[in-house]
Amino acid sequence: MAAAAAAAAASVASQAQAVLRGRLCDQAVVHSALRSSPDTNYSKLKYLVASSVSEACNNSVLLLGPRGCGKAAVVDMVLDDLKKDHPDAISVIRLNGMLHSDDNCATKEIARQLCLEHQLSFSKMASSDDNTEFMIDMLRECGLAHKTIIFVLEEFDLFAQGKQRLLYSLLDAMQSLTSQAVVIGVSCRLDADQLLEKRVRSRFSHRKLLFVPSSVDSLQRLMEHLLALPEDSPLPTNFRVVSYMDIDSGLLSMQSFMNALSSMQRQPKMDGLQDLSILELYILVCMNRLEDKEKSSYNFITIMKEYKSVQDAYKTSDKYSHTVCFRAFEHLLDRELISFADNKGRNQALEYRPVKLLISSRELAESLKLNTTCPAVLQKLLDRERYM
Amino acid sequence: MSQPVTPRRTTRSSASASPSPAPASPTSPPKSRPKPSPRRQLLAAAAAPPKEDGSSADALLAELPGRRAQAMDILRLLAPAPALPLMLHGGAATGKTRALLLALRYLRPSQRLVYAALRSLPSPRALFASLLSQLSATPFSTSSRHRVPDKPSDFVAALRDALNGIVSQGEVVYLVFDNLEVVRSWDKGGQLLPLLLRLHDLLQLPQVVLVYVSSATPDAYYSMTGSVEPNYVYFPDYTVDEVRDILMHDHPNPKLYSSFLSVALKPLFRVTRRVDELSAVLEPLFRRYCEPLGDLKAVPDEGMKRRLFEHVQSHLAVALNETFNVPMRASMDEIKDGGSAGKGSAKRQFAGKDGLSSELEFHMSVSAKYLLLSAFLASRNPATLDAALFDSTGGLDNRKRKRKSSQASMHMKDTIVEEMLMKGPGTFPLERLLAIFQCITSVSEDILDEIDCPGNMASESGTTGLMSDVLLQLSTLCNSNFLSKSRSCPLEGSARYRSNIDEDLALKVARSVNFPLSKYMYRR
Repeated sequence: MAAAAAAAAASVASQAQAVLRGRLCDQAVVHSALRSSPDTNYSKLKYLVASSVSEACNNSVLLLGPRGCGKAAVVDMVLDDLKKDHPDAISVIRLNGMLHSDDNCATKEIARQLCLEHQLSFSKMASSDDNTEFMIDMLRECGLAHKTIIFVLEEFDLFAQGKQRLLYSLLDAMQSLTSQAVVIGVSCRLDADQLLEKRVRSRFSHRKLLFVPSSVDSLQRLMEHLLALPEDSPLPTNFRVVSYMDIDSGLLSMQSFMNALSSMQRQPKMDGLQDLSILELYILVCMNRLEDKEKSSYNFITIMKEYKSVQDAYKTSDKYSHTVCFRAFEHLLDRELISFADNKGRNQALEYRPVKLLISSRELAESLKLNTTCPAVLQKLLDRERYM
Repeated sequence: MSQPVTPRRTTRSSASASPSPAPASPTSPPKSRPKPSPRRQLLAAAAAPPKEDGSSADALLAELPGRRAQAMDILRLLAPAPALPLMLHGGAATGKTRALLLALRYLRPSQRLVYAALRSLPSPRALFASLLSQLSATPFSTSSRHRVPDKPSDFVAALRDALNGIVSQGEVVYLVFDNLEVVRSWDKGGQLLPLLLRLHDLLQLPQVVLVYVSSATPDAYYSMTGSVEPNYVYFPDYTVDEVRDILMHDHPNPKLYSSFLSVALKPLFRVTRRVDELSAVLEPLFRRYCEPLGDLKAVPDEGMKRRLFEHVQSHLAVALNETFNVPMRASMDEIKDGGSAGKGSAKRQFAGKDGLSSELEFHMSVSAKYLLLSAFLASRNPATLDAALFDSTGGLDNRKRKRKSSQASMHMKDTIVEEMLMKGPGTFPLERLLAIFQCITSVSEDILDEIDCPGNMASESGTTGLMSDVLLQLSTLCNSNFLSKSRSCPLEGSARYRSNIDEDLALKVARSVNFPLSKYMYRR
């Protein structure tokens, strides 16, 4: 009886987990809370685009803000709403700067999507000029038919590299009275509009919508919105917490939040330092000593000289041969705790190429303190030179 | 250009990754096929349907000693289908790929695995081809009409099409990118890397789960405009106890082996913490450890342990100062296969310091050895000293003039020494090499004459015959990487050479031809 109840609870819990996971993985759901409140970027953008659709004019706007603030989600929601309101009056062309920053490629993609929207056959062989011409013709035709074309340019800053031919031809075509188009640029570079050339900038309406990371209050609301289940089931962020959800109890406990937090706040370099063998630590300490002696540059041979002198002075048991030390040195290179100082002399033997530390002496000292197997000599070697 | 690039490995893994038990592709001849590595077997296993018995979580954890927390993390983060991207990172040989593939096998029903080891796919084009061929239902051969996209935009479109087809049937697809760190050094890696890391945003398919495996830390992938971070799972290096557990795994005589490990593991662990290197060193050592024992099944008592320890102690000291070279998997298998051959190689490995010189038998002609030595001298000695060292009298005892060691000159000498250490072996023109070569061969001509062929044609016909021979051998030495030939100097126009051998090797070569090398080396 009790076992059956527990099994039922577990299945409910796993269902709940599935619901929550699905929700957290979906951008649209995460940011749909923004829809309800007035005076957000959502309502501003919607007003802007809707008015240019209904008044049949051209417009352009930039959405700027760091990643994860819901720029693309807002665009999606606005476009969804508009498609519902004016089903025949808009067509959307989406480009991504990461994929279509090349002008030829971008015009081809625009032509392809235009053909798809208007049930025209798309020719793969068309030249870039043909495609540009086709785009301008389509803009005119759509303008005459009172249809708005909305261009969504994600990663807008990447379109602003090079000659910016695409942006120019697009914005120039929008200068004519017949056309009817909206360009929405999305970028996480706040200076994206400064990247534009003069001829492009003058054709661009300087509307910008700034996205900032949500405040604590709105985050709290967002959390409630995300984690509250649809029906009032007995069950009460982020993805990781939900993944750590305890299936047996079916509760998102404080513990799961703590676990998730601790696994997200890692310091990769410190972790890497904890993984080193004693010999590798010796080499790092020797390098640190060399840096403290204000050597401008040093290589493996100089490190070995320092290592030998340390071993001679302290007579430790960790005295290993040249080749073994070199293998440890290579491990350090692999772990990217040290690296070559320059890219010159690629044909030179590795021993002689100058190297540098990629960690600070503070990090090294801390990791030695945390390391329980580390010999006391090492600690002393590191400390002494600091107070001298 | 339109020829699609499909590396052999990908076609094979695509054949094994398709869910139906596909027959081995008949195109690849079975004889030329290399032995499957454990990783590839694992890959095939991850793609194959799970066995009825061995698919419980406990069995999974038992196969991953010391990786319990990580395996649980992976399972939790991947498990019910929609999942955010995941990145596993940690040093080499910490079981990242193994844990991932085993976890995926555990999750097996209703999922599809697409695995791309970026190290074996040398270019974006090959990567695209591999991914798409693994996704397409019919493994596409090199002559198929499919065109491999080489632009990122075409690739993402093709990938989305292929994935849409699978996802619409309700399947979950796991895209695994192994060895992500190598992309950074690719030709267009700077553009490809953000593309790979943002694939989740670009595809917008929740049923497609992206997993990255990297030995570089996450901060290696930060870019200027950033990207939404994947969930990280960190794989730390194994601790001593975990390494012991791994090594003890399935050992025929656990008592004996654990007594061996208690002696040998700790000191070696101070040098390296990588399991693959440790096991490579420990295997021959254990064989050495067992030598006094007649019966390998014996359970050692205290007295026996002490005796064995004393026996192995000297070998342990040698092993500590030897390079841990990890043998190729295939050659390791060979050693295991042929018992006698394995013992032979182990003996050679532990022949000790004095044995090294006998091991070092390159089949090299005497004049090539002299050439090597003269190249070594030319690289190490400053050119200005040549006249003093290789005087016509052959002696170098006439270096009597000793400068006063004032403070300034001492300091200057120090900086020169420093510079020499930093610069490494110097380069030299061909003329200098030949001059030194002639000097040292003339000094030890008597030795050369003894060894020379009975006809003695070369020495009689004068230097011209010798020279042509020398040039030939010089190119041989360059090809075998004893010497390296640098670019020709723009002013002088002739190529410069540099010797790559270290002092130990040079001394050994000198000993083999009875040449007093140390007399000619400039000591600082």
